[in-house]
Amino acid sequence: MSRNGMGFWGETRQTARAVAAAMTVTLKNLFRKPVTVHYPDVVRPYPDRLRGILALIYDETGEEACIGCRLCEYVCPPRVIKVEMLKGEKRNYAKTFTLELYACEFCELCVQVCPTDAIIMLKTFDLATSDRRELLLDKDRLHALGTQFENSWATGTKLREMQRPPKAAKAEAAE
Amino acid sequence: MRDVIAAFILLNAVVLIVTYLTYVERKFAARMQSRIGPYRVGRPHGWLQPIADAIKLLIKEDIIPALADRPVYNLAPIVFLIPSLLIFATIPFAPGLGLADLNIGILFFLAVSSLEIVGLFMGGWGSNNKYALLSAMRGVNQIISYEVPFVLTALIPVVLAGSLQLSAIVEAQRGLWFVAYPIIGQLAFIAFVIATIASENRVPFDILEAESELVAGFRVEYSGMKFALIQLAEYTHMFGVSCLGALLFLGGWLGPGSAHPVVGAAWFLLKALFIFLLVTWVRWSFVRIRVDQILGLSWKVLLPATLILLMATGFWVALRSGHVA
Repeated sequence: MSRNGMGFWGETRQTARAVAAAMTVTLKNLFRKPVTVHYPDVVRPYPDRLRGILALIYDETGEEACIGCRLCEYVCPPRVIKVEMLKGEKRNYAKTFTLELYACEFCELCVQVCPTDAIIMLKTFDLATSDRRELLLDKDRLHALGTQFENSWATGTKLREMQRPPKAAKAEAAE
Repeated sequence: MRDVIAAFILLNAVVLIVTYLTYVERKFAARMQSRIGPYRVGRPHGWLQPIADAIKLLIKEDIIPALADRPVYNLAPIVFLIPSLLIFATIPFAPGLGLADLNIGILFFLAVSSLEIVGLFMGGWGSNNKYALLSAMRGVNQIISYEVPFVLTALIPVVLAGSLQLSAIVEAQRGLWFVAYPIIGQLAFIAFVIATIASENRVPFDILEAESELVAGFRVEYSGMKFALIQLAEYTHMFGVSCLGALLFLGGWLGPGSAHPVVGAAWFLLKALFIFLLVTWVRWSFVRIRVDQILGLSWKVLLPATLILLMATGFWVALRSGHVA
């Protein structure tokens, strides 16, 4: 009599059933199509809100969208963004804009706060390089990246719109 | 001289087949896990991968641990490999296509294939490494335990065929493969597969390698070509036992058009591949079981079961031939 009270035949039957179940699973998998994607050759479709590499973009008029307001610099948790403002006549510009991508934690907060939708994320994450300095992105590199890769869905305006409290609640709060 | 040339050709063919068996196993395992396996080295489907692996291992640095028992350590892979290759001496690939069709072929096979354990223990002992030694002890323990039921299951076809000669055993299956014999055949085949898996230290009986606890078992200290030899020996042994299974239960070279030696050899290799894939299938379906469970299965279940089966087979054969009134 075995310890679990099933007896020899009960245990044998249970073992046989378990063996059959396990081997059925692997056999089913054998005839299924592999899920592997040949990554560098074939790229899987990425989700719309992929949080990839950061980039700066140009606005509709073809001008730099960044106004150097430094909001992203203030909000950045690991403090990887450094911006200097350049005062202009009609609007301000960013004199310098550096982003230390090697320390970035891809939290998307800079995208959320950007009042002019200037900083966005890209649908790519190929960061591997042999030199860390290549991940210290300046303004030109960031602009170049923005034109090079597909942009992710999120922009500052869209994210803020999404998180706006509902209208009714707002009216109630006002009263 | 003719024999030497034949042996040379046979050894090279076996090594080549075994090299590609690793590829087959990797592809097969990958498909069971919804992967594609080796793909990059050689188009299509990475067919050059085994060659690339061999070249990589050849040019790797050969490290000998400072405290290793050098003669034993260096000799172990060779002692491990030679019995695995020797077992092919007696295997008939097709009628008349084999090195030496001994009239005690199966005894030779069983005796020589158990010698593998000496190399295994030498490797574990010579490495002077706790894990390696522990693994070698477990290996000896397990292989000796499973050698008994393995031999007893191998004897069932012998009793059915009435001969120890492998080619005669195959010829006796001309009417009906031994695996198709009612009840006796299937039970014996299942017992044979279980004993094969266990004596080849494959999952679920691989406490000897036990990736998570013993790193890689008795070969943990080996690198470069010595590691390659050990790996080659394991797969060669596996292939040899698959061949034995094909001869004993699946009718060897018998099949449509098997009168021609090439077709017969193709059937034989196909059947050996089937057993190999069966063992691989089991390997990727289960988790490792405990030492006491492994030994319990051997001594408490498999040994009595195969003994009873052997007795039943003998009784049945005697009944059929009319020796029992």
